[in-house]
Amino acid sequence: MSAPAGAHPDALAALLARRLGAIDPALAADLDIIEPAVADLPRLETVSTPPPTLAVLGASRRAIGLLEAVAARTPWRVRAASPESHDPREMTELALRPEVAAVLVGAGDPPGPDERGWLDDLAGLVGAVTRRRPELKVVLAGPIASRNAWAEGAGRPFDGTQPRIIEGPPLGLRSGPDEPLREILENLLPDSGDARQTAVRALLSLADTLDRRLELIDIGLTGGLRAMATPGVADQGPAAVAVRTANAALLPLEIDDAAVDAVLAWTTGSLDRHRMGDRLLDLRAQPWADASGDGARLRLAAARAAMTRLAQQTQDIGGMASPDVTIVSGGAFAVAPPRAVALAVADTIRRPGATQLAVDHARLLGPIGTIDDPDERRGLLADLADDLLAPLGSLLVVGNVPAGRRNTARVGRLTLDGDRHGRHDLSAGDVAFVDLPPGDQALATLEFRDSVRVGHRARRVAVPVSGGIAGLAVDLRDVPLRLPDRRDRRRAALAAIGELAWPGDER
Amino acid sequence: MSVQGDAGSAGAATAARPPIDRAGLAVIARRPVLVSPVDAFFRLHPGDRPLVQAGEAVGRGQPILEHHRDPRTIVVAGPVGEDGTAVPGDRWQGSPGEASKADGEGEVKPGGELLFRSGNRWRVAGGDRPDTLEVPFGGVVHDVQPGTGVTIRTTSSAVLGRSALAGPTWGRLHVATGPDGELRAQHVDVGAAGAIIVAGARMDAEALTRARAVGIRGVIVSALGIKEQRDFLASERRGRAAVHGLPPFGILVLDGAARRPIASSVMAVFEAAEGSMVAIVGDPPALVIDDPSVSLPKPAPGLVRVRSGPLAGAEGTFAGLAGPRRFPAGVTLEAAFVRFGGRPPVAIPIGDLERFT
Repeated sequence: MSAPAGAHPDALAALLARRLGAIDPALAADLDIIEPAVADLPRLETVSTPPPTLAVLGASRRAIGLLEAVAARTPWRVRAASPESHDPREMTELALRPEVAAVLVGAGDPPGPDERGWLDDLAGLVGAVTRRRPELKVVLAGPIASRNAWAEGAGRPFDGTQPRIIEGPPLGLRSGPDEPLREILENLLPDSGDARQTAVRALLSLADTLDRRLELIDIGLTGGLRAMATPGVADQGPAAVAVRTANAALLPLEIDDAAVDAVLAWTTGSLDRHRMGDRLLDLRAQPWADASGDGARLRLAAARAAMTRLAQQTQDIGGMASPDVTIVSGGAFAVAPPRAVALAVADTIRRPGATQLAVDHARLLGPIGTIDDPDERRGLLADLADDLLAPLGSLLVVGNVPAGRRNTARVGRLTLDGDRHGRHDLSAGDVAFVDLPPGDQALATLEFRDSVRVGHRARRVAVPVSGGIAGLAVDLRDVPLRLPDRRDRRRAALAAIGELAWPGDER
Repeated sequence: MSVQGDAGSAGAATAARPPIDRAGLAVIARRPVLVSPVDAFFRLHPGDRPLVQAGEAVGRGQPILEHHRDPRTIVVAGPVGEDGTAVPGDRWQGSPGEASKADGEGEVKPGGELLFRSGNRWRVAGGDRPDTLEVPFGGVVHDVQPGTGVTIRTTSSAVLGRSALAGPTWGRLHVATGPDGELRAQHVDVGAAGAIIVAGARMDAEALTRARAVGIRGVIVSALGIKEQRDFLASERRGRAAVHGLPPFGILVLDGAARRPIASSVMAVFEAAEGSMVAIVGDPPALVIDDPSVSLPKPAPGLVRVRSGPLAGAEGTFAGLAGPRRFPAGVTLEAAFVRFGGRPPVAIPIGDLERFT
């Protein structure tokens, strides 16, 4: 059961206990899930917190670009300024804002010709800010603290004894420091047990328990997450690559024209920019409201825009082979129709290959990740494995599909063998949903006249698929997806595909 | 609200259902009508000067900070301060004409705040024409952080809104229209000059401009669209940059961007406080009712309001949880029964409901 933020967990627990008692009183009594006692049961709780703000100050626009690219792959909300675009008063104002929790400051090492003139000003400015805000954390990426102006501003030379001032890796001239700096920024975050952080731990344990490669895509109001976990091999434990980013929040903090256009690009309705802006403002203020009817479609359009941003920030994960299971999670998908969720993933995560789709319908991965002991976590996941995830079905994305002479011409055929049998014609540029109920297994054989790409290039590909509430989705559209630029044609194309996910949709 | 399946025929179907369970109100989102005390935060930008100290009592209209209408960075060469030991954050006062030669205003003494020193030159955030910001209600200075902000605490009650634009401001509260009304430009009356008006469900940019022009000090509205917000803020920026500046004006948005009436529980508070001194502050966005003699009504228990969807703004009585229901677009949501007037209860998603406390 879910309830909007603000509802007390005790009220939810009591309600669940009452429902279980009404369905099976004996079981409820055996498990001690009765209303007075339910409040005393052990609980796993986690919360997704709003992202803190990071001020990124650079000696040049180039340095800002490099630093921002790294910071964008962290949960920090980034605000950037450089002497080329802001005057010292504006940069100081940014660093002194109450919501700014940390400053990342950088310059090339050695400084570029465009940076030398500004370097002393930048060092003096950040040094003075550290003196005025003793709680502010500062990450130095470049020769900032070695300047005399730093010591004048900070009131003391930098000697590395202040734990809140951290020396990061230097900034190269052509490429920025990536993982080491990202790690520093992640470690600066308050240890709040963020739901997306703990979900990665649960994903690792789940990959190990199921012995499957798992991908997790989470879109929430405060940020997004994409993680790929692989099970342990021999003596090595499971491993994961994860990117949490505030850029992939369901909606950006500032709803400007770009944010509105990004959502409008995935809608089939006739809202203008202003009305769409109003809807997005209300969606951000009350993300759990208006979840049916038009609101459900709007939410999925916003989720697609967020997943597009997430895919752009996680191209390293996107370049990996298809996982065995792709898990979608987060409020954006919590109440959407299953086929609409599958289609949203197919629209935005364009990776040729086959994967099983599942949804973290009860949002359990985050709370389970709060268990510190990996063995205990694995044990709980093994117990819950059958109910933890709701199977949506399987998604087959086929790349390099040869175009037919006509749009509707058959370019290939799908044959299912297993719990379900059947043959289906495939057309280029189409998405086909085939009914395959939860629990059913089948071998899907795809045959084409020319070679296609489903993980590898071949004319005939056979992949095992699993059923789910959305069935089997076969996507024969371009990889990456190309939609018409003209809005009316784009809307028509989206509406045609959307009919598969939103039956009875008049738009 | 059109609801598919069993929810759509909830009224007819309830006869065959078990009796309504009236428990479960706690899972409906809670919205406090009144909060107290209130810590209002007033931002200090670099160059601004706090005029109060922590612990000091302040009265309505008392200046609490000084800011520059034309802030800029001033470069000052050489040592600053009596013995040259100034540090970032210290105040700086220039001599007449020192930094204003370019403006041709040699008689003005520029002032500001030291930012940092680099290359034996100080960068100073300052300007020529300092203005003061007056506190819109009486209270106690809770905290002063130079360069960051001043926090004033009041024990008065406040109605929290969704957002506030411009401000702070204060004036007598005047209810200009009903909760579902929409105040048009031609209906903005000069008789309300100096007041903060309750303007109903929505207001357009033209009416807002006229309200400011006739001397109204603030507007309370249920919803304000993104276009109206942008238009108003652009007008505000232009007005602030002008030589004579603008008198205080603020907008308090209670609910969001899409049109809906003001909640009856909130409207009852406005009606009770009509004629009293109130203030609009931006952080938190709130209307502070700065008159302890006003008796403010409490919301009725069990009253719930639909805050989004086709029935947005409708109010009714909570009649129990309805369990998971299927709604338009094939979405299954936890729902609650709500009775509107004497009609049979209707199932509404609990995410679309709010209750007042």
